[in-house]
Amino acid sequence: MAPNKKMILKADINRIYDEKVRSQRGKRERLFSRPTRQRKMKSTKWFATGMGIDLPFCIILLVLLTIGTIMMFSASYAFSYYTQGDSYYYLIRQLIFIAIGIAGMAVMSFFNYNKLHKIAPLILGIAYVCLLIVLVLPAGDGGVKRWIPLGVFNIQPSEIAKFAVILFFSHWASKYYDKMQLPKYSVLPGLAVFGSIALLLFLEPHYSGIVIIAILTVLMLYIGGMQTKYLLIGGIVLIGLVLVLAVTGGLSYAMSRMDGWGQALEYTTEEMWQTTWQTRNSLYAIGSGGLWGLGLGQSRQKYLYLPEPQNDFIFAIVVEELGLIGAIIILLIFALLIWRGITLSLRSKDKFGKLLGIGLTSQIGIQVVLNILVITDWLPNTGISLPFFSYGGSSLIMLLAQMGIILSISRTANIERQ
Amino acid sequence: MEEKHTPSKTPQKRTDKGPNQRLRQRTAIIIIIILVIGFGATILRLSFLTLAQGSELQEKAVSQQLSDTVLTAKRGSIYDAKGTVLAESASVWQVVLAPINFETDEQRQAAAKGLSEILGLDYENVLEKTKQQNYYTVVKRKIEVDQRDKVLELSKKLSEDYDCGNVIQLLDDYKRYYPKDDLASCVIGFTGADEQGLEGVEFKYDDYLSGTPGRIITAKNARGTNMPFQFEQNIESEDGNNVYLTIDEGVQSICEKHMAQAIIDNNVLNRGVCICMDVNTGAVLAMVTANGYNLNDPYSLPAETEQKIKALPEKEQAEEESKSLAAMWRNKCVADTYMPGSVFKMCTASMALEEGKISDSSRFSCGGYMRVEDYDIGCSVTSGHGVQTFLESFCHSCNPAFIQIGQLVGLDKFRDYYTAFGFSEKSGIDLPGEADDSFWPEGQMGMVDLAVASFGQNFNITPLSMITACAAVCNGGYVLQPYVVSKITDSRGNVVKTVEKKVKRQVISNETSKKMCDMLAAYPEVNGASGGYVAGYKTGGKTGTSEKIGVEKVQSSFEKDYISSFCGIAPTDDPQVALLVFLDTPDGGAYYGSQIAAPIFINIMTELLPYLEVKTDYSDEDLAYVNVSMGDYSNMTVEEALTKAETDGFTGIVVGSGNTVVSQIPSVASQVAAGASVVLYTDGTPPEKVKVPSFLGCVSYEANSLAAQYGLNVSFTGAVSSGGVAVAQSIAEGAEVSQGTVVTITFSANTSEGNSD
Repeated sequence: MAPNKKMILKADINRIYDEKVRSQRGKRERLFSRPTRQRKMKSTKWFATGMGIDLPFCIILLVLLTIGTIMMFSASYAFSYYTQGDSYYYLIRQLIFIAIGIAGMAVMSFFNYNKLHKIAPLILGIAYVCLLIVLVLPAGDGGVKRWIPLGVFNIQPSEIAKFAVILFFSHWASKYYDKMQLPKYSVLPGLAVFGSIALLLFLEPHYSGIVIIAILTVLMLYIGGMQTKYLLIGGIVLIGLVLVLAVTGGLSYAMSRMDGWGQALEYTTEEMWQTTWQTRNSLYAIGSGGLWGLGLGQSRQKYLYLPEPQNDFIFAIVVEELGLIGAIIILLIFALLIWRGITLSLRSKDKFGKLLGIGLTSQIGIQVVLNILVITDWLPNTGISLPFFSYGGSSLIMLLAQMGIILSISRTANIERQ
Repeated sequence: MEEKHTPSKTPQKRTDKGPNQRLRQRTAIIIIIILVIGFGATILRLSFLTLAQGSELQEKAVSQQLSDTVLTAKRGSIYDAKGTVLAESASVWQVVLAPINFETDEQRQAAAKGLSEILGLDYENVLEKTKQQNYYTVVKRKIEVDQRDKVLELSKKLSEDYDCGNVIQLLDDYKRYYPKDDLASCVIGFTGADEQGLEGVEFKYDDYLSGTPGRIITAKNARGTNMPFQFEQNIESEDGNNVYLTIDEGVQSICEKHMAQAIIDNNVLNRGVCICMDVNTGAVLAMVTANGYNLNDPYSLPAETEQKIKALPEKEQAEEESKSLAAMWRNKCVADTYMPGSVFKMCTASMALEEGKISDSSRFSCGGYMRVEDYDIGCSVTSGHGVQTFLESFCHSCNPAFIQIGQLVGLDKFRDYYTAFGFSEKSGIDLPGEADDSFWPEGQMGMVDLAVASFGQNFNITPLSMITACAAVCNGGYVLQPYVVSKITDSRGNVVKTVEKKVKRQVISNETSKKMCDMLAAYPEVNGASGGYVAGYKTGGKTGTSEKIGVEKVQSSFEKDYISSFCGIAPTDDPQVALLVFLDTPDGGAYYGSQIAAPIFINIMTELLPYLEVKTDYSDEDLAYVNVSMGDYSNMTVEEALTKAETDGFTGIVVGSGNTVVSQIPSVASQVAAGASVVLYTDGTPPEKVKVPSFLGCVSYEANSLAAQYGLNVSFTGAVSSGGVAVAQSIAEGAEVSQGTVVTITFSANTSEGNSD
């Protein structure tokens, strides 16, 4: 086998990276950019220099986390009071998770992400193990098995699976980048990994997890170099499947099973009316917000009308309190974060970093879009949380850790600007 | 390895693209998909929901967040002219369940058992209600204090033993009571289950009586408890206004008493009407549709009607029942029409006088009938009245004479006056369901029609419009708007509205009206009891007997169905009240107004005029029958006593041998007929015993002489006019009483003489 030039290059980068990081220890802590070099920077490369993390990305992230935490507190206030007897119950826990998450993020930002390259298959394996463990554990609320209880907080295996999929395909596509055009290296592993995870998620069941894993798989394969025609073929197969279901009547059955999707405002049966309770009250909350919103803390729908307002449906309360204007501003901040995340990933020296960074950033975008489409009743009500906003220990810590990886990637991206 | 495969599998054109460039392109596409399409879609959707659908969704959100509790307003009371309560609302309670708060079946069963026992409801039925999933299910309405206390106990027990409070609620409610039962039932009306007025004044004045329900609007969380933030709005309920009627309970009960008796006496098949009106204001003092119904129980029919309905096939029962109820509730005084008959002659006469068609020398001849075009129209006296003056024509109630008078007035004028008297319009009385008249349309009235219309046949008017016209005839010619409500006050007693008399127009001059009063006064004078003569008072009036034409004949035993009526006024020199009575389809011994309606008029007036404190004005003839107070002769010498008795108008009879009067029969101040004898005892001689004869059927002077014959004294009550007949006596026939004892004899103007119309 011919010596792989790319591998050599990568090894060099790793060495430089490690040396730089090591050389900084003991000296002045340099988490962020070095101000003395600012004059040499081009206007487009603001802040990011040397081995520092990407400051704009970090600031946007912290801004979102702050807004998200404030809104989580506002949304959970009443629910927390009525169910836990303490208005601060969820806030305090969320703040603890954030502290752990920030610490995790900081650690991950110093962690050489290239070390993940080798252990990617291992992490995928751990994800499989978790997905299997959750199936043998007793079912939780509503007869679904989504959580592995770990005392203080619970682990959601699907969260690990999402990360594992991004990581594995980043590893795979960067390893076999030139062969990715071959279906054997793209379509086949894609189907194998997605199919197996989907099967395990189906047994939980966790349909939104399947959808996100599917989107992430396709996305990773696409940027990884899979030929576009397979994407088209996949699309055609999907459309064909939907058509067959529609003709055979299976689709309407499936739709009717999707918890009254799109029928939240119409009264059909008492059972359906109860099922669509959450979605309906989400729509009421959004509608009540109007253009300017009722004002921070002024939501009425959070008073037990919207069940668990701190979780997946938090954005409905955000719209009710901050209005369409507030919602658009928050979406713009998200967009900024995603833009920054993807562009800094593209500046990464190695393929693995690029793919991993794009994948992790896109995951946030996908979750935001799906979450808002769920709360506005354009998608069936399935558990998709809103990053940085929704209450939840494992997912938040996981998310912040992933952000740490992006920050770690940003360090290598900034080398050339030194 | 990759070099082997790449050329074969990869299209040639791709080789010129570096892997980095492809990654950039594809990343750009991903950014477009997520940020443009994905975020675009969310913003689009959010904009649609907040802006386009915002208000609609917000409304729904608010409606679920706000809890709206209605505070029932107390319905106002109805009083008569003197402030007697005729209708009032009392506090009762409504039992309401919030079944969603039940958690176990055990709780449900306990609640259902308790409630069904206390309220006397079916257990299964209540249990079904406890299983519903809502916050408001009415279990029973209008429970009274004792039941409420038991429900409160049950509620306490439930929260202690079964840990489920907030399940049973007691809401304030009101129930309508009518203390006088069926008094003025056709005027007052009644209310429905929600206290909404359904008939009469209750219906017409519902807006005033019902008040404004209050509301408590609070923001509630999904569990129904108050949200912590300030969002509460209280609107106090405003109690309904009180309504004061012009109806006087005293007048009303006098009228009702005599109407009820008349209905029985004459076997009236289609109910009767009696209206008493203040001629100077149009205020209705009494309005009777006999027989009335019990306002506290408006849905129960008289027993015989119930039986008739039960005899029907099952299918028709419900329909027949509602028909019978509607008929029972119908206020015949305003909602039905009748042909006024000869009573209308007072209007025809007024027209002729006002138009100057009548002079003192006017003479009208009657040959028993009169030919108009191709019809012979008969008179009640088939032999004819001969040549009569205007007054005589009126007093004879001569139809041919009035045909001639009508012809003098002329068709157009007659129609004009008909309209001016207010027959063609609604009277505007504040009662629901006033009927329209039916008269010949413009241009379709011929001479024959005019001829019969002159004496009140072949057109229909309401009884109310007849008495309103009668009031106009005697009050100086003013057509008034009749009314039954005089004032409205709010719950604190402030006057909200006062009803003033409303003159619509003047139809005849004061002079004509004065002449008409004299004519009306002449009628009883000429016809006696059958003309409505009331001793001691200047009454006037006119009888009427109209054939019922154009309606299905009811089962009366006469050849035709008749309406017998009397419409009169008192006193004639200064008219105060008008009284209309009529009996629809009498099936007793007689049907002429003079025979059966005039006596009712006399009986009512005899009681009514003293009640209204109208001053008496006895004629010489009447004076003989007037009761006077017995003087005091005790402790006088015999001579003194005899002299004084003579001066007082009594005949003294001395019993015993003493010089001083020690006792006397009748006792001091007892009421006796003028010219009574007084037995004066001068020592302890026991009173002589005499037997009481039967006075029944006697007229007053016969009774007087009969009493003198037996050594008794009499006292007259009732219609002691020349035609009055004794119908009752206070001491039964054959009883042994002391000489000089006073027997009270009740007279009734029941007469069979003189069919003058």
